[in-house]
Amino acid sequence: MICCQTRRGAAVAAFLTGCALSSAAMAQDWPAGPVHVFVGFPAGSSPDTIARIVAEPLAEALGQPVVVENRPGAGGVIAVQQMLARGDDSFGININGPLTTAQRLIPDLGYDPVADIAPVGLIATSPLVLAVGADFPADDLAGFIEAAAEPEAISYGSVGEGSGAHLTAELFANAAGVQLFHIPFQSYAEVTTSILGGEIDSGFMAPSAALPQVEAGTMKMLGVTSAEPFAQVPDVPVIAGTAGLPENFRAELWNAFIAPAGTDPAVIERLNAELNTILADEEVRERLLAMGWQAQPGTPDDLAQRIRDDTALWGGVIDTVQAAE
Amino acid sequence: MTTVDGLAHGLAVALQPSVLIYSLLGAVLGTLVGVLPGIGAMAAITLLLPITYYISSEAALVMLAAVYYGAQYGGAVASILLRLPGTPQSAVTTLDGYPMAQQGRAGVALFTAMISSFAGSMLGIVILVLLAGWLSGLATSFGAADYAAMMVMGLVAASTIGEGRLAKSLAMVVLGVILGCVGTDVNSGAQRFTFGQVQLIDGINLVALAMGLFGLAEIIGNIRKAERDGPPARVSLRELVPTRDDLRRMVAPITRGTALGGFFGALPGTGSTISSFLSYALERRVARQPERFGKGAIEGVAGPEAANNSASITAFVPTLTLGIPGDPIMALMLGALVIHGIQPGPMMLEANPDMFWGLVVSFGIGNLFLLVLNLPLIGIWVSMLRIPFRWLYPAIIIFVCLGVYSVRGSTFDIVMVAAIGAIGYALTQAAFSPALLLLGFVLGPLIETNLRRALLVSRGDPMIFLERPIACGFVIATFALLIYGFVKRSDQGSQASSVAD
Repeated sequence: MICCQTRRGAAVAAFLTGCALSSAAMAQDWPAGPVHVFVGFPAGSSPDTIARIVAEPLAEALGQPVVVENRPGAGGVIAVQQMLARGDDSFGININGPLTTAQRLIPDLGYDPVADIAPVGLIATSPLVLAVGADFPADDLAGFIEAAAEPEAISYGSVGEGSGAHLTAELFANAAGVQLFHIPFQSYAEVTTSILGGEIDSGFMAPSAALPQVEAGTMKMLGVTSAEPFAQVPDVPVIAGTAGLPENFRAELWNAFIAPAGTDPAVIERLNAELNTILADEEVRERLLAMGWQAQPGTPDDLAQRIRDDTALWGGVIDTVQAAE
Repeated sequence: MTTVDGLAHGLAVALQPSVLIYSLLGAVLGTLVGVLPGIGAMAAITLLLPITYYISSEAALVMLAAVYYGAQYGGAVASILLRLPGTPQSAVTTLDGYPMAQQGRAGVALFTAMISSFAGSMLGIVILVLLAGWLSGLATSFGAADYAAMMVMGLVAASTIGEGRLAKSLAMVVLGVILGCVGTDVNSGAQRFTFGQVQLIDGINLVALAMGLFGLAEIIGNIRKAERDGPPARVSLRELVPTRDDLRRMVAPITRGTALGGFFGALPGTGSTISSFLSYALERRVARQPERFGKGAIEGVAGPEAANNSASITAFVPTLTLGIPGDPIMALMLGALVIHGIQPGPMMLEANPDMFWGLVVSFGIGNLFLLVLNLPLIGIWVSMLRIPFRWLYPAIIIFVCLGVYSVRGSTFDIVMVAAIGAIGYALTQAAFSPALLLLGFVLGPLIETNLRRALLVSRGDPMIFLERPIACGFVIATFALLIYGFVKRSDQGSQASSVAD
């Protein structure tokens, strides 16, 4: 009996090894043709530039062309749908929205961010900075919160209802115990113009959008939403732990490499390994940083955890916002 | 650095052989993509962006800029010959350019468009150089209330464009506004009229709308007409050149158009569109025989073409001096600068004078290239009209589909073109003006967004429209236009009735 069992066990083991081997072998042969990467934003946008920075060395490593497919629309959601629809050797480089908040904001999303997407790896993260005009009365976060003591006294611009800039501002307001007045815009360029024109008081925006104005002396940055000081704007204090805000305050936008669920795990492993090699390259890190993005290599599980955490975090903010309406 | 030093410096940059070559390349490509229906500067610049990684930042931006303004030249060709405008600005050019072509004056219309474009650009450069400081202040001194008031004035002024009854014109504007509402509401994030279609979340594709309303509708209309009886007679070079009378008629519209374009172009966003429509409306207002408009009036081509080219030059002011891109194409060009490690913004003129002045001088050189390139091509373009319908139309439809697909890689948009084409045909048959629909489509959502934003800024107080001097000026101008319109109408009415007596 024992011998029999062992033999059967050995057969099963051999079979499993065979499977693993053939899967590994497949990943070795993979890809047999061009790899498509669906990007949710138009050419020249930061997700697109990130995708191109990654695609070039990736194509070299895989020995096959990596085609960046721009499918802009619905905040990146269209590109996820198109990736899922196309199937074979289709992947995506996308921002956090379609994977963490889209299911709450778009009723007919057409996919489940958890069940239909296989995370490959995080690429880069970016914090937002709280920016105000140069003649704003306060020079630091404590002063800003004091100025905002009266409900809705201070207005802020975002890049749209439900955007990262909007949700971050609401997260901040909750944590600081103040009520800010939201005025939605469509781009950071519009928010910047409006702050410069004195129409609105403040905005949470991408560091690279605020930086040129700060250098020109027309804007001030009061705080950054990352856990650590951000290399592009090293002098800006982190919001966490400042002016009575919780130590664990953190809000970051990110770009990640994703695959359709059901993609061969060996392929995902291979892609993740290549991605991390690319992100370890000093030149790639510098190019990303120049655009305001911090390279963040990690495992597929790290990304899965990030998606879970952020879905919970932003879901809570959306609950609060919707309850207030 | 004084302006003269800057220009001398810029000349040195722009005359480098590599920069010159890329400028010429951009001009050629711009013309080409402008001529192809639906494929605009956006698609071309998107495709060229990866190439710019490998060339100097000056050459890269000079080339992309040349594509941007070169496409304006090319856009006039498809609008005049085939009634195929790729942008709302070119839609204005179809109003009188296409009737001219149908009267056998295609060459003159194209010549007019080219000369007006060139003059508008050159004068636009002068405006840019002399008034850059003032114009860059304009962008930040305009708030939401000012934009809302300005666009309402634009809509009122332009509503005289349509021929025939006022009710028909208004119906088109309103339909345009309604179509413009499709998509995500900026203020609440709610989805309007999307019927659960994710493809509609960002609204109806403007290129699909323009191509369907004009081009496809025209093709459907012509199918019912008999095939042309042989190719039209060969036109001699003499007939391509405008008469002295034509030239005389052009001067004032070009001057007015350039001034309008130069001003509105510097406002991020709709400058170019609103200046084309305003220029057309203005020419019609000041004309001694306004009834000639829409039937091939040369002023209706010259003014708007000068306006949109002048606007495309001053549109660089907020982009370069504030780092604020006015439209998606400008945002792309900013992206190209960032790739080269240049941070566009208020400091750019000081930090990268080479880039700024080199670009300004290259505008002049590029436009010269465009003129030299396009004038001899007029004969070839006109001879395109000799292609039989059965070859021409399928080719156009293929290009339209390609062009619409190139905007965001969506097959849904191609289906949209077909549907809009059918609607456009019905509207044309019933003598509605599709140009007004397009204007409503573009301005409607902007008016709504800015109106609501202004009221948010003022916390609900409508007095903001009278308290802000710029907004108040536009409100007064709008009422003046309306009163003038009613007085003129009742004047004509009483004249007509006295004649009847």
